[in-house]
Amino acid sequence: MITLRMEFQKIRRKKIALTMCALICVQFAWLLWSGSHPDESGRLQGWIEMLHSLPLVSVIMMPTIMSVLASRLADVEHKGNTYKLLNTLRRPGELYHAKVICGLCFILAISAAQFIFVIVLGYARDYAGHPEWNYYAKAFVLNLACCLSLYLLQLLLSMLFFNQMIPLVVGIGGSMLGLILMYIKMYSFLPWGGFLSSAQVRMDWNPETRVIHFYYREYSTLELCAVFMIFVWIVVFYTVGRILFKRKEV
Amino acid sequence: MPTKNLVETHNLTKQYGKIHCVNAVNMQVPTGAIYGFLGPNGAGKSTTLKMILGLARPTEGSITLFGTPVIGKNRMRLLTQTGSLIESPSYYGHLTGEENLRIIQTLKNCAEKDIDEVLKIVRLSEARKKLVNHYSLGMKQRLGLAAALLGFPKLLILDEPTNGLDPAGIQEMRELICTLPPRYGITVIVSSHLLSEIDQMADHVGIIRKGELVYQNTLESLHAHSKEQIALRVNHTAIALDLLRQDGIEATVESGYLLLPMAEDAYVANLCRLLIAQNISLYRIEKREKSLEDIFLSLTGKESSL
Repeated sequence: MITLRMEFQKIRRKKIALTMCALICVQFAWLLWSGSHPDESGRLQGWIEMLHSLPLVSVIMMPTIMSVLASRLADVEHKGNTYKLLNTLRRPGELYHAKVICGLCFILAISAAQFIFVIVLGYARDYAGHPEWNYYAKAFVLNLACCLSLYLLQLLLSMLFFNQMIPLVVGIGGSMLGLILMYIKMYSFLPWGGFLSSAQVRMDWNPETRVIHFYYREYSTLELCAVFMIFVWIVVFYTVGRILFKRKEV
Repeated sequence: MPTKNLVETHNLTKQYGKIHCVNAVNMQVPTGAIYGFLGPNGAGKSTTLKMILGLARPTEGSITLFGTPVIGKNRMRLLTQTGSLIESPSYYGHLTGEENLRIIQTLKNCAEKDIDEVLKIVRLSEARKKLVNHYSLGMKQRLGLAAALLGFPKLLILDEPTNGLDPAGIQEMRELICTLPPRYGITVIVSSHLLSEIDQMADHVGIIRKGELVYQNTLESLHAHSKEQIALRVNHTAIALDLLRQDGIEATVESGYLLLPMAEDAYVANLCRLLIAQNISLYRIEKREKSLEDIFLSLTGKESSL
């Protein structure tokens, strides 16, 4: 607990929260822009459409946001050569946990902000009915899990490499890869594809009537495996990160 | 009963690939000493100190701290009684000096009042609210020492603490280190590649060369190694040498000088009479001493930098 408290002390004046807010605002702007003037049909499907848009926004934005977050948290240690001091005060495993939990707090705040914004926006646009809370809750958990898996990967890279350009390039590359994989439908098992493979809403567009219909999908066995893969990545990245961090000589 | 040696290493070895960076080092640091760990650049000083602090894993050998063998489980408990400054100071540049120390103080779980005291010791009280990024190198180094001093540990490990400091800063740091054992009962291990620096600070010395500890004893004993000789300059060195040898005196010739073992004044006077009686002109009589530098170089090899 002390180590975690110190983690927050260390990032004072680093304006990490402000950076996160700025990046989240880009997401908000995107969501505001999409379906900004809903018609009657749009209002009827508004809540479900939001659940369709969220993973799309996340797959593009979140890998970059996670790389920035992990890099900012790890860089404070690299810049001041602090590992050689910290490792004599606390076990490396404990220091690693503190970084993970500190990042998780930010991820929770980012995800919560994202969902709160969507719900407020839905009511402001006068969408019909109310959000289907069970789907929204599931979407929140899956979004959180995807972000966590990416954060753990980025944290691993940020802690291992002194030069933070390497993890940042991986993060930005991940955003691009997620976007490309979305079109070639091969995203299922990659960490950057988790947002889309776990998406609960599908879109059906009729070219003749030009009517868009959103529906909650049933996961096939393969799709369920892809969702399960998100949690596998969390375990893998956490374990590898912890082992490498503990073994690293400073 | 206090432990005789606060730090002991037994055959401590660190190998990177096929290279022995540290090779079977048996270091013994007596309680209350300022132990100067001396060696040329790349001799293995930092690696040895890092292994003592658990920052690098030994390939072989063991470490005993405060009389207790260090194993994975007790490492952190034993390290709570140590402070360290390895190579360069560790700090968060975007925080003030005081905020930096507060983080270390909380992690060390020591008293809050220690912050004021260590800041006073390293003379940083006035700069406590200043961001560390705005500190000079000397101030950062002093902050590193302050962080190491928090909790007033039994053992302080300082790796080249005067690196990058100007002459005044070096002098200040040196004086500060010398006050630690008498004032706070702290045992200090201080490494350096400068013999003069260790000579002015330490009472015990360990000399490492290419990963091997080639000398370890008190500084006094190292000084005792400085062999005194009498050097004579005469007009006929070869004849004088024969004469001295006939008289049973062991002498050698070096750079045109006759070198004799140190002797009493009366003996030297007799020697002069003997030479003059044989019509040899005596130009100079000098007292020669093998300097610490000479000893250091003979132990570490002349190719090594000082």
